This record gives sequence, C-alpha cells and structure tokens, in this order.
Amino acid sequence: MSQAFTKSMARNIFFGGSTFFFLLLVALTFDTMQVLPKRDHRENITPAVAHGKMVWEKNNCIGCHTLLGEGAYYAPELGNVYKRRGGEFVKAWIQSRPAEGTPGARRQMPQFNLTPEELDDMVAFLKWTGEINTSNWPPNIEG
Amino acid sequence: MQYQSQAVAKPYFIAAIGLFVGQILFGLIMGLQYVMGDFLFPAIPFNVARMVHTNLLIVWLLFGFMGAAYYIIPEETESELFSPKLALLMFWIFLVAGALTVVGYLLVPYAALAKMTFNDLWPTMGREFLEQPLPTKLGIVVVALAFLFNITMTILKGRKTSISLVLLMGLWGLAVFFLFSFYNPSNLVLDKYFWWWTVHLWVEGVWELILGALLAFVLIKVTGVDREIIEKWLYMIIAMTLITGIVGMGHHYFWIGTPEYWQWFGSVFSALEPIPFFMMTVFAFNMVNRRRREHPNKAATLWALGTGVMSFLGAGVWGFLHTLAPVNFYTHGTQITAAHGHMAFYGAYVMVVLTIISYAMPVMRGRAANSNKSQVLEMWSFWLMTVSIVFITLFLTAAGILQVWLQRVSTTPLGFMAAQDQITLFYWMREFTGLVFLTGLVLYIISFFVGGESKEAA
Amino acid sequence: MSTQSLTLDKHQPGTPPGDMAIWLFIYAELLAFGVFFLSYAFARAHNVELFNESQQHLNRESGAINTVVLITSSYFVVRAVAAIREGLSRQCAHWLSAAIGLGGVFLVIKLFEFHAKFSAGISLSTNTFYMFYLSLTIFHFMHVILGMVILAAVMLKARRGGYTAEHHTGVETGASYWHMVDLLWIILFPLVYVIR
Repeated sequence: MSQAFTKSMARNIFFGGSTFFFLLLVALTFDTMQVLPKRDHRENITPAVAHGKMVWEKNNCIGCHTLLGEGAYYAPELGNVYKRRGGEFVKAWIQSRPAEGTPGARRQMPQFNLTPEELDDMVAFLKWTGEINTSNWPPNIEG
Repeated sequence: MQYQSQAVAKPYFIAAIGLFVGQILFGLIMGLQYVMGDFLFPAIPFNVARMVHTNLLIVWLLFGFMGAAYYIIPEETESELFSPKLALLMFWIFLVAGALTVVGYLLVPYAALAKMTFNDLWPTMGREFLEQPLPTKLGIVVVALAFLFNITMTILKGRKTSISLVLLMGLWGLAVFFLFSFYNPSNLVLDKYFWWWTVHLWVEGVWELILGALLAFVLIKVTGVDREIIEKWLYMIIAMTLITGIVGMGHHYFWIGTPEYWQWFGSVFSALEPIPFFMMTVFAFNMVNRRRREHPNKAATLWALGTGVMSFLGAGVWGFLHTLAPVNFYTHGTQITAAHGHMAFYGAYVMVVLTIISYAMPVMRGRAANSNKSQVLEMWSFWLMTVSIVFITLFLTAAGILQVWLQRVSTTPLGFMAAQDQITLFYWMREFTGLVFLTGLVLYIISFFVGGESKEAA
Repeated sequence: MSTQSLTLDKHQPGTPPGDMAIWLFIYAELLAFGVFFLSYAFARAHNVELFNESQQHLNRESGAINTVVLITSSYFVVRAVAAIREGLSRQCAHWLSAAIGLGGVFLVIKLFEFHAKFSAGISLSTNTFYMFYLSLTIFHFMHVILGMVILAAVMLKARRGGYTAEHHTGVETGASYWHMVDLLWIILFPLVYVIR
C-alpha cells in the first residue's frame, strides 16, 4: 500500500463502513419484521404451541436434532417431522424410548418421561413449525 | 514482563488450556457415539456431550481472550492494570461458575437443571450454544462487565493505541451482542432470527476484531515491523470483516422463515467474506517476511502464520463452499456445516489464542522464549493438531457430500438414519484423526514442562 | 470521514487524483455494486417476463431527470477542482455548494418516487425485480448522502481557505468519490429502468 494511504484513513473506512452496514442490517431487519407475520403464521401460536417450544428447549432436543436445519447433526431433521411421520408416531416414538437404551444399537435417544400434555404440546409446536414458509426447504420429505 | 499486573493472564491461560483438554475429550466421546450408539448411554447422552463440547469451547476461548487482554493492555497502554485483584476475583468466579455449569449438565437431567435454575421465570435455555442456565448467563454478564470496566479504565489512564482500541471494541461488542441470548420469544422464527445476533455477530463479527488485535500485537512483537504499518493493516482487515460480515448474516436467513431477499443479500455479502481472511493471511506472511529482528520464539511465529492460513481455509474457503443460497439449499444442516465449523473455529480462534499463549507464557515465566527442545515439541504439537483438523474437516466434508447425495439429491432419497449408516466409515476415520489431535494436545501441554536452556529475557 | 484524513500532498502526474484510500474504497464499492449488477442480470435471465412487466411501472421520467441532475452536479464538481487548481477557494466552495444542492434535488425526486412505490404497497418482498430495484436504488441513495457529506466537509474547508493551488488533494478526493456515485447511477438507470 502506498505511503499516501495512512492509518487514519484505514480507520475512517472501518468506522464509516461498519456504521453504514450496521444501519443497512437494521433497515433490512425492520423490513423483515414487517413481512414475517405472513410467513410464520404467528396467529396460530396457541398456548399449546408456546408450551411445546418450552418442552423442546427444556429437554435440549437441539443437542441431537436439527430444527429448520439448525442444531446438531446426530439425529433427523424435525422441522418437517409432522408431515413425514404424523403426530401420533412422534408421540409414540418419544414415549417408547427405553430408559437404559438398547445395547449395541445405533444412535440412542433418551427417555424424557414427558407427560401426555407435554407430548401433545410438543406435537403442536412441531406441527406449527412445519407450516412456516421456509422457501421450500428442505429439498424433500426426508429433511 | 514489563508490567507486574500482566501476570494475572497466567491463570487465565492455564484454565483455558485445561478446559481445551475437556472439550477435546468430550469431542472424542461424541465422535465415538456417532459410530457406537450405546457408548456411555444413558450416563452421557449425545446431547449432553455436545453441550459440554461446545460450551467448553466457548468458555475456554473467552478465558483465552480475557487472559490475552490482561496481558496485552498493560503493555499497550504502558501502565499497570486498573485492578489486578478484580481480575483475579473474576477469574475464580468465572471458573467456578463454568465448572458448576458443566457439573450440572453431567449430573442432572437437563429438564431438572432448567427447573432448579428458574428457567420457568425467564426461559433462555435449550437453544444451541446458549444452553447455559439463567444464573450462568447472568454470571457471564457480570464477569464481562467487571472485566470490561477493568480494561476500559486501564486504557483511559494510559497510552491509547489502535490495537488496544480495536481489542476494546471487540470485547465490548462481545458483551453487547451476548445480551440477545436473553431474548427468547415463543415465535421460533423470531427466536432464530435474533439468536444469530449473538452467534453470527460474535464469530463473524466482533470476535474477528479480537482476533485481529491479538494477531497484530504478536506480529509487532515477533517481527519488529513498524506499528503504523501493522495497525493500518489491522484497520483494513477489520473494515472488510464488518463490511462483508454484518450483512453476510443473511446466509443464516435462507430457510428459517425469513423473507426471500435474504438469499440475495446473504449470498452476495458472504461471498465476499473470504476477502478479510485472505488479507489476514497476506498480512501475517508479509509482516514476517519484512521482519526487522529474529525473535527467539519461533513457535509463536509459527502459530501466528498458522492462524492466517487456517482461518482463511476454515472460515474463508470452507465457508464459501456452502454459502451461496442454491448450494446451501442442499447442504444446510448437514455434515458440511460441521466440517466448516471445526476448521473455522480451530483456524481462527483456537489458533489465535494459542498464538498469544505461545508468545506470552514464556515471558511471564521470565524468559523471552522457551528452550529449543521445548519449542520443537510445541511445533510438533502445532503440526499434529493442524494436520488432524484438516483431515477431520476433509472426512466430514466427504461424509457431508455423501449425506447430501443420498438423502437430498438422489431420485430415491434415503431416510436420515439409512443415509448415516452408509457413511460410517468416514466417522470412524474422523474419530481416529481425533485421537491424533488429542496426541498433539498432550504434546502441547508437555512442552510447557520441558526444561533445557531457555533464552534470556528480552 | 474526517477532513483531516482527506488532506495531503498535491496531485502528482501519473497517479490517480485524490487520495489512495478513496480509490481503494471506490474499487471496493464498485466491486460490491458490480456483484449486485451481475446478480440482477442473472436473476433477470431466469425471469425475463416478470422483470419486463414490473419494469413498465417504474417512473422513467423521474429517473431521466435525476440522471441529468447528477451529471450536471458532476460537472459542477469538475469546475470546483478547476477553480482550486487556480487557487480560487471561494469559487471552489461555490461550485461545490451547487453540486451539493443538486445532490439534494436528486434525493427529493427520489423520495417522491419511493413514496409513490411504497404507497402502492410495493416492498422488498413484492417480487424479485422490486427486490433488486429497491435494494439497488436505496443502496445508491445512501451513497449519494455519503457523497454529499464528503463534499460538504470539503466545501467547508475550502471556504475557510484550507486548500491552495498546490495542496488540494482533499478536493480531488471528494470529487473522485462524487464521480463514482454519478457513474453508478449512469449504469443503474439504464440497467434497471430502461433495458429490456
């Protein structure tokens, strides 16, 4: 870099550039917030859905599964599991995990001892999640 | 060591390395669970191991950053730390809080831990990387504020250099963006949207300011190149980082319910994100080539160069590989992401912390550099860990490509577990390479205890 | 941009006028816009009909007027540089004020255009064409503001007699940036408003 280019100019570019782009991010965020209600269908977030999200979080499901592609990559994607398997299957699956695991089996899922209400709400949450407009992701039903 | 109070960095560095070992051990447990599903089940289920693995990483990097700041700031400001006692107190608080959290993860079921720690009052737990119980999160805020107070006061009373200014901005940004972790609405899309304001604006934003400042400090020390030149580079690099990285956040907003224009913004800006990392590589090599002195600490120079190269490969190249929306449509949430995450974190943040430790530890132990024998061992550990991470990344990339093919592209897509069964071989190779990494880490620790004739203090 | 950084030695023949930093900045800007222009072309190629249809609803008259406005302002900036090369600080400041004024005219016309579009319910999510139209024009709009801020800083300094016939890198730097803003519009206008 030439001598004419000094540290204070580099600093000005840093401050100017980062301020500019942070403002751009804020502006885009503002627009996103206007558009989101049409895509997330928040009118369908019932108390059951909200509680289902808490059940999801309290049991750290994200530690193995992905949800809309984010999380751990150890176990299947669950953003579309309601479409893939249906609510009854999901409940039966969670309920039937053996507490001591299955020796020798491939990946194990713990027994979380969820109550029937927690199971219902979890399914309500997964159903609502499956209805978010995700621009057609995932590519197919397998997630 | 020029200033007495720099010594508070030492416990921070030791704790960082200790937690690093823990992180790797849990990584190996998880790696084995990928191929032997019943390993340690139900004592340590995968989700618990993963939480420990990722949280230990974050905590030990924070220990590293704080230790680095306590070491660098007195030297840059040419004055003693505002309060070394406060720094030591915060060290113990942070260490105990961190240890208690990990013990909690391991001994109590997560749901019970949530209940014990008042998660119902203000739910923040159970989101990736932000799994910490509420008291831990608050503790992090308190420690961060006390730390920032200490550092800021030191800078205010001393010389103000660009390096300390950039470091300070990075650290303040770290604290500010952590506050988004307290926002957890029941609308998953909003939750995810602002979750990234912590996660992305940390690792692809303010942490890079810290990274740049640490690298610049060590390069000034080991090369003796004029401060004006190095600081000019520093500003250019972090300018490009934020110009590309802030809106580059869009690459996380492709498929989580956010509007479709993010596919354009995210693709365009994140495609430019490798530029600052490339500049960092050029910067590191350029400065070392123009060095005006032969610093006896060859190992520190090696770590600094390694940071430049590996952060470019891991964050720049592997990030670019799957950042364009049409590609990411297929790769989102697969082992490709895991591959990128491993090399980027190692190349950028692990290596820069090890760089500053490599430079500062000998000085704090009263010598300019370790003995030749010790340095040779440290360089062996550098190569073992670095080559291991390259292979781990390659194996995970291969696993990811196969996963995408079998599960998402193929005309007869397999289910998730069926696809996973097809790629077991790569997971075995990853686990084996992980053992090599652990060997490197053990050698790294041994290098601190190797005697021999050390170089005189500078 | 602080003014102190914009003042250095006089222009040497064979090097670009103005300061090195502003040229780095200009190249970076052109790169960013260039990527966006290419993305536009790419998106258009995949959806020619939508683009042609939506384009019909743009206000080409106001776009054309704005083109004239910006080119004229660039001419004023050229006169400002010519004035300072003769050491005429006051004239330089006057020409710069006129250029800034025209920048303001550009912004006002653009605001009317945006207002009409937003009232019609058009947003970033309406369709891909409008996403590009709004992103590119707003992005450019912000650059016009930044350019006006830079020109204003230069103008204030010129009025104080801060530049001489020998030392006026600051004026050339500000001028270079303004010409870039103008150039971007000259590409943007036909690309988004006219070509089909």
